[in-house]
Amino acid sequence: MQQDEADLLLSVGLFLFVTVGPLLFSWIFGNIYQKKKQEELGVRVKAFGTDNLTTLKTPPAQVSASGLLSANIIMSVSWWQKLVGGLKTIFGGQVETWDRVLAWARKEALQRLREQARAKGFDNVINVRLDTSEIQSSKGRNTAIEILAYGTGIKT
Amino acid sequence: MASESTGLMTALLNKSLLSQLAMPPAEGQPVQTIEMLMSNTETIPGQSIIQMMGVVTGSTVRAKHIGKDILAGFKNIVGGELKGYTELLQEARAQALQRLVMEAHSRGANAIVNIRFATSAIAGGAAELMAYGTAVVVG
Repeated sequence: MQQDEADLLLSVGLFLFVTVGPLLFSWIFGNIYQKKKQEELGVRVKAFGTDNLTTLKTPPAQVSASGLLSANIIMSVSWWQKLVGGLKTIFGGQVETWDRVLAWARKEALQRLREQARAKGFDNVINVRLDTSEIQSSKGRNTAIEILAYGTGIKT
Repeated sequence: MASESTGLMTALLNKSLLSQLAMPPAEGQPVQTIEMLMSNTETIPGQSIIQMMGVVTGSTVRAKHIGKDILAGFKNIVGGELKGYTELLQEARAQALQRLVMEAHSRGANAIVNIRFATSAIAGGAAELMAYGTAVVVG
């Protein structure tokens, strides 16, 4: 009798480990990892100082040199976020998981553009554009989003 | 047998097309030495357009490496950036831009203005990256 109960408990435990285990892992470590990365980005943005990007088309002053700049990032959501987001699409409304990841990706792409402009010696970047596109793996299981930020760097 | 020969023909054709693409038409200089002013505004800031040379495009289709795809699958557990893909698309876009520059150069332009990027997903995990703009002569 006891043997049967132990067997049942073991199989239920194994079943939960296989099904819920990865999701729990994804939830815990995904949260820790993403929070850490977002904090790092926040520090970088703060340390950079005044923003050198603008969406205006005309340069603010006389220009001596210019060049095309572009920065991109490919972002994916974790398994947990994908599950929660997927469930949310049944009921509709705001999908917070994708929301947060996309805002983060855009912030990161813009910050990369800023840093690239500074590294190449440009004072400002004018006509900044943001482009979003969907990237799919060959089997269509993993969807990722690419954010491309580009603009014209100018030296005043 | 027939399919083999057509495959070979396509390969040869591709090779000749590629060699044409890889070499600039006029002086035979290496690709890197072409100097082209590029901008996504309507003019090159600080310079005026003398002549329009028409619309130029450059594109490339890329598929992902299977190893990278599997690695990206693991990275999906925690989410966040997929660095391998970021680099892959960056390289691909650089190639598209290079082709754009080649076409503008072959038309005798020294600058490309109003550059736009476009990305479209082609079936089976491949993506087309395109850059287009207007080739102009500035001075």
